[in-house]
Amino acid sequence: MSALVALTIVGPLVGAALGLALRRNSQLRDIAALLGIGSAAVGSFALLSQVSANGTTVVRVGGWAPELGIILVADLFAVLVLPIALAIIFVVEIFAIGQRRTAWGANPELAGPLLGILTSGVSLAMLTGDLFTLFVAFELILVSSYVLLTHQGQAAQIQAGMTYVVMNLFASTLFLFGLGFIYAATGTVNIALVAERIHDLPDGVRLGLGSWFLIVFGTKAAIFPLFSWLPDSYPTAPTTITAVFAGLLTKIGIYAMIRLHTLTSMEELGPVMLVIAGATMIIGAIGALAQSDVKRILSFHIISQVGYMLMGLALFSEAGLTGAILFLVHHMPVKTVLFLVGGLIANAEGSSRLRYTGGLAKRSPLIAALFAIPALSLAGIPPFSGFVAKLAVIRAGIEANSTPIVVAALIAGVLTLLSMAKIWLGVFWGPSVDRSDHNHPVSGPPGNRRTMYAATSLAVAGTLAISVMAGPLFDLSERAGAGLRSPSAYIEAVNP
Amino acid sequence: MTNSHSPIAEMSIRAATPLALLISAYLLFAGHNNPGGGFAAGLVLGAVVTLRTLAGLQEPTYATALLVSGVLIVIVVAIAPLLWGDPLLDMAVISIRAPILGTIKSGSALPFDVGVTAIVVGLIVALLDGLSDPETSDPAGRGNLERNS
Repeated sequence: MSALVALTIVGPLVGAALGLALRRNSQLRDIAALLGIGSAAVGSFALLSQVSANGTTVVRVGGWAPELGIILVADLFAVLVLPIALAIIFVVEIFAIGQRRTAWGANPELAGPLLGILTSGVSLAMLTGDLFTLFVAFELILVSSYVLLTHQGQAAQIQAGMTYVVMNLFASTLFLFGLGFIYAATGTVNIALVAERIHDLPDGVRLGLGSWFLIVFGTKAAIFPLFSWLPDSYPTAPTTITAVFAGLLTKIGIYAMIRLHTLTSMEELGPVMLVIAGATMIIGAIGALAQSDVKRILSFHIISQVGYMLMGLALFSEAGLTGAILFLVHHMPVKTVLFLVGGLIANAEGSSRLRYTGGLAKRSPLIAALFAIPALSLAGIPPFSGFVAKLAVIRAGIEANSTPIVVAALIAGVLTLLSMAKIWLGVFWGPSVDRSDHNHPVSGPPGNRRTMYAATSLAVAGTLAISVMAGPLFDLSERAGAGLRSPSAYIEAVNP
Repeated sequence: MTNSHSPIAEMSIRAATPLALLISAYLLFAGHNNPGGGFAAGLVLGAVVTLRTLAGLQEPTYATALLVSGVLIVIVVAIAPLLWGDPLLDMAVISIRAPILGTIKSGSALPFDVGVTAIVVGLIVALLDGLSDPETSDPAGRGNLERNS
């Protein structure tokens, strides 16, 4: 058990080191990176089956007590989200191997090892039981993401990378300050111990800490009004990189928020978070409607969708948390797939701007089908996974009698569908655009394209599998949500 | 690396190098129980490498080898305890009674710190290498500009 936890963190690091050592040999390098990420993904699935059967696993790194050392906690919430996250990175790495020989591909010598380091950070962020290690994990993810975002050195990327780096460094600094405050107030940074001791603090201090971390994690999660960095920076990166960022990074912020704010019982912040959630959903969806580039539309959707997850958390009810967890599990693969398809579109058309594309459905029905399924799922059309997730969140809202947020969620859903229709009309229907001036379709050797299609199809199949397994997943999410609602079990497991 | 060599800088960096190496080694061993450790040792060592590169005394090389060996050492030390059924990152401690130095206490924390040092130095060398290599610049020709100036 403890070896499985270690594998999900150390496996990708070994892969990254070997990938770096073998970077001149493209085949061995790809195999090393894939094995590293793949072993972690397999380990996390094994962890899911173990934890769902036997309950929370706690690993005390170095055998130290919770007050002193690093604690890794694999509870149901963590192991439900982690396998999905790692599987996504694995699929994207396959896509990257296919794409890398074209103009939009990331530099293969860097992308493989850095994705490995990012994977390790993601595992650590989800499994860690103390706030300082969470900070380190965030930095691990961010440092590799800085390089991945800007390593091609194009002017637009450097410019967007500047915004991204400054915003994230700012949030990290706030995070560090927050750590200091928490340590000063409770004498520990272990989340379970903080959860235990925070109730002895005066209400003002307690809620101040809660709001502080709402801002910290909110910046990472791109909630209203802290989202401005996201739609500028994501679309400039190579497709594979954007796909990973879109699927994972904001979700790590939401994950950390769900973890900390439920364990420390910040119910009083619920109303504020509900208002933010509603604004995030609507403004994200409206922003998406206003864009005219596939990647930019999809980037604004990320913001809108984060609103739903925040709404689930803000209700602070078992049903709400179940919905938020289900939404996380559904959203990560769907969003990644959409960006991968965006990459396929850019590859086939030579551009992802709606003005320069058109009539792709006739020329490439496969891309149209690969886009349609996740797009309908994201908009929340039954029977796809998005429907189940949205239903769970909205039902929780109705149960809690919060009519305004339910109305906002429904409106945002319609707007999402509209902007998806905009992509469909611009890219897949209509006349083919004369592609003489602006577009430079990139046609690599067919083997590469086949790899990209295979990876995207695999990911679409994954999202369909989530729809099919919605029943058992809902049960698991419900158990995880119940676990989050009653922090005593988590505290008991960490510090018996 | 620079075109104009300053003999003063070169000589003083030459003279300071052994001293800085000594400080780096001290920090590496002090880290077991006192402020210091592999990261601090790596930073001092990295500063030495940076100064020597700037003064033209050496070329930034072996970045990949340092990074890879560092990561692998750290990982091996981290997961080795699992083989004996101990928790992840558990440290073995050894005490040796040496004739003059007294009791020396060390253990698997030492190779771990050495690994960390190698990673830090590797990163700094990679940075220097990246900054000095005109080929890695963008196709717009910034690299050519630098070479011509």
